[in-house]
Amino acid sequence: MTLVVGLIFLLTAVFLILPVVTTVLMAFDSRDYLGPFPPQGLSLQWFDKLWDEQYLWAGFYTSLIVASAATLISSIVGTLAAVAMSRMTGAARDVLSSLFLSPLIVPGVIIGFALLMLFSALGIGSPLTRLIAGHLVITIPYSIRMALIGLLGVKSSLREAALSLGANEIQAFLTINFPLAKSSIAAGAVFAFAFSLDDLAISLFLSDFNTFTLPVALVGLLRSSFDLTIAAAAVGLMGVTLILLLVLDRTVGLDRVVGLSVDKA
Amino acid sequence: MNVLELKRVSKSYGSFLAVDDVSLTIEKGAILSLLGPSGCGKTTTLRMIAGFTAPNSGSVIINGSDVGHLKPYDRNVGLVFQDYALFPHMTVFQNVAYGMKYRGIAASEIPARVARMLGLVRLGSMEGRYPRELSGGQQQRVALARALATDPQVVLLDEPLSALDAKLRLELRLELKEILRSVEATTIVVTHDQEEALSLGDEVVVMRDGRIAQRGSPTAIYNDPADRFVAEFVGRSNWFNAGNWRDAANGFVNYESVAGISICGQAKPNTSGKVDLCIRPENIDVLAAGEPATMDENTMPGTVVDVAPLGADVHIVIDIDHGPRVLAIQKSGSQRTSFGVGQSVRIGFSPADVLVF
Amino acid sequence: MKADKNQGILLLPAGALFIFLLALPLVLAGVESFREFTPGRIGSVGGAPLTLASYAELLHPVYIQYFALTYALSFISSIVAILVAFPIAYYISRRSTPTVRKGVIFITVGLLFLSHLVRIYAIELTFGSTGMFAPLLTALGISMNSREYIYFMIVAGLLQYSIPMSMLILIGTIQNLNPRLLEASQSLGTSAFRSHVNITIPLCVRGIVSVFLVSMTMGISAFAIPWILGRGRVLFVSNLIYSRFNEVANFPSGAAISVIMIILCVVMIYIVSRVATLADRS
Repeated sequence: MTLVVGLIFLLTAVFLILPVVTTVLMAFDSRDYLGPFPPQGLSLQWFDKLWDEQYLWAGFYTSLIVASAATLISSIVGTLAAVAMSRMTGAARDVLSSLFLSPLIVPGVIIGFALLMLFSALGIGSPLTRLIAGHLVITIPYSIRMALIGLLGVKSSLREAALSLGANEIQAFLTINFPLAKSSIAAGAVFAFAFSLDDLAISLFLSDFNTFTLPVALVGLLRSSFDLTIAAAAVGLMGVTLILLLVLDRTVGLDRVVGLSVDKA
Repeated sequence: MNVLELKRVSKSYGSFLAVDDVSLTIEKGAILSLLGPSGCGKTTTLRMIAGFTAPNSGSVIINGSDVGHLKPYDRNVGLVFQDYALFPHMTVFQNVAYGMKYRGIAASEIPARVARMLGLVRLGSMEGRYPRELSGGQQQRVALARALATDPQVVLLDEPLSALDAKLRLELRLELKEILRSVEATTIVVTHDQEEALSLGDEVVVMRDGRIAQRGSPTAIYNDPADRFVAEFVGRSNWFNAGNWRDAANGFVNYESVAGISICGQAKPNTSGKVDLCIRPENIDVLAAGEPATMDENTMPGTVVDVAPLGADVHIVIDIDHGPRVLAIQKSGSQRTSFGVGQSVRIGFSPADVLVF
Repeated sequence: MKADKNQGILLLPAGALFIFLLALPLVLAGVESFREFTPGRIGSVGGAPLTLASYAELLHPVYIQYFALTYALSFISSIVAILVAFPIAYYISRRSTPTVRKGVIFITVGLLFLSHLVRIYAIELTFGSTGMFAPLLTALGISMNSREYIYFMIVAGLLQYSIPMSMLILIGTIQNLNPRLLEASQSLGTSAFRSHVNITIPLCVRGIVSVFLVSMTMGISAFAIPWILGRGRVLFVSNLIYSRFNEVANFPSGAAISVIMIILCVVMIYIVSRVATLADRS
């Protein structure tokens, strides 16, 4: 029994991690073409190429702006909604919560396609506003969910204690509920940022030739020239992921992420 | 002077009447225990005084003015919660100081005042700690200091000792009483623990199904309960069902219980038909088979089922022949404790100790 | 009443965004799906006549194949993910040391946070024609250009997400189980394996169902995975919608496919949850 589980564990670990390791190794390949694994020598040439790849950098800057704006807006909007929801009865809260999480089961392509039709019908929005609006659809659910988990974790007796000590509703929220739910709200922001940064399906519809996000740029490269500049970019993105992970671990602790944040249902 | 007055207060949730026409007064500096089983309306009463729940009818009056329309933060009521509700992200100092700035105490005065409060609850050296670094008893005292820090007109304690273990509960009970007395706080203690209610309160109010069952001194509640519910809820009790009575003399009558057992007790003027007779276990003497009973004591034969020496007291359980099972509590060291299981004995109790309902 | 009003104000921004950015566009897409399509135009004309043509077109076997393939490959990856993730999640939440646990969770969450394009690219580098397995596969006579191998690549791509996701959800579920139940069962003489089958798995039904639904939804919505790993020869429904927009500019058709896809998705979630509820009761 244990042996079988051990074997499954090992194979899965290899299956999940091997591609990442392969990519890192290939990023340092000294050949100037994409040759068979393993690399024959090491060099930083692909990182040099990445440095000069204006197309990817333009996408990266746009992505940073879009992800930051979407994260900021959805954290505020999501927290406000979560505050209202945290004060509702269980049944009303469940209905609203599944409604607000529903964007997560709609395929991104459909959201992007439908939004594109809306925006062109109304004839509004610069590409940047369109992208930010589109990303809000997928970031707000995470912000609401994490803020709600955080706020529900604050015992109601704490708020009542503050009220009985003379703080009014707003003062009690700002000095008690908000500080105690802060780390959960921050985790929601990390999720929002990560998923905005990684979105392709929605961005593809809302980008144009001048304003596009990093995944749109990357997928363009992937489909045109499958060379190792992308491996170098991948190594860079792994660094970004690592930073997000550490932020998440510092704010809520990765242990608490288990079973609550990724569970879409 | 009455600091707090409830006038015919009622509260219902849907068709459930949580509090039903309750009127209460409490004098300055007095400690009142609100005792009852869960669901009796005591917590709802407390929440209406604090301002978290609005009564459907009736008024809540503090120091002569109706506060019914005031928010919790516009009343000056100190609250100690069952779970203490200490702010986990604040130090002991910050917790105790929290209410002061909202109650208009000058910032320059706050440190000295916090120190005084912490001195009162003997936590002077703990002001830099966080609640999670304190023991249960220390947390309880911080909660008390925080509630008293704003000089509240009324202090409400919600099951203040229920989260502590038995030994600590006894120690803190006394300390709590001393502190409340020393600051002359007008206090209501809500509890389902009768010992806590009797030992803390100058007066005890027993609640049942949203109504007040009895109000009185702790002694009166125990010795002269108003009805069977209060007698059963407060203290231990042995019960006999009885029917017809006869031979009335000097205010005493003989009640006929099951299987020919006859019990002499006080006559109840309006008794008709069935009555319930209650005898407190400490009022029952256990007599060896041949031992004579005191004059005019009720006696009946039985068999010892269990003997449990519990320190100061010995609890003896006896099956009355053809009758119910009773508990007798004897002082340790008296000769009336050396019985073996299965031994035939008699129990005896004075007619004056029989409570008739 | 006052509290209700405040709650309304707090919900307003999120509600407005939800209606404007999700509900309204989807309704618009629904309407568009009934418009008549004129080839050569981008989108439909405002007052174009209503027709069911876009839906009728989807009954063609070619389109049904897209749907069948999308669902089949998503189903395979969801099942494999559960079979693999369950024992690992069980081991992690019950047997492992805190350090191992923390490490596994760190890597799992990390994998989920890593750009999905990076991971697709990594799959291609590892299992593609320049990858380390290429010589072995050639030696075994397996063609890396066959349709079956492309299916394998796509499932591998889907699993890169569904396995870590399933693990996290199941670790959460199993942590909430009471281990005493299992011990009780074993002390009654049931073998360890049978105890799992009888006790652990039924109690985890909720978790397993939600894992299945999350993996399925992810698989069905997959866009970049089939787009890149499918090499243009294997496409999912998502890719079909995109090509309607990008290649032929047939908005009504794209909208019709979207509507069908959402309906199928909701139906699937409804049926699976329903079956799970029934299984829970019996």
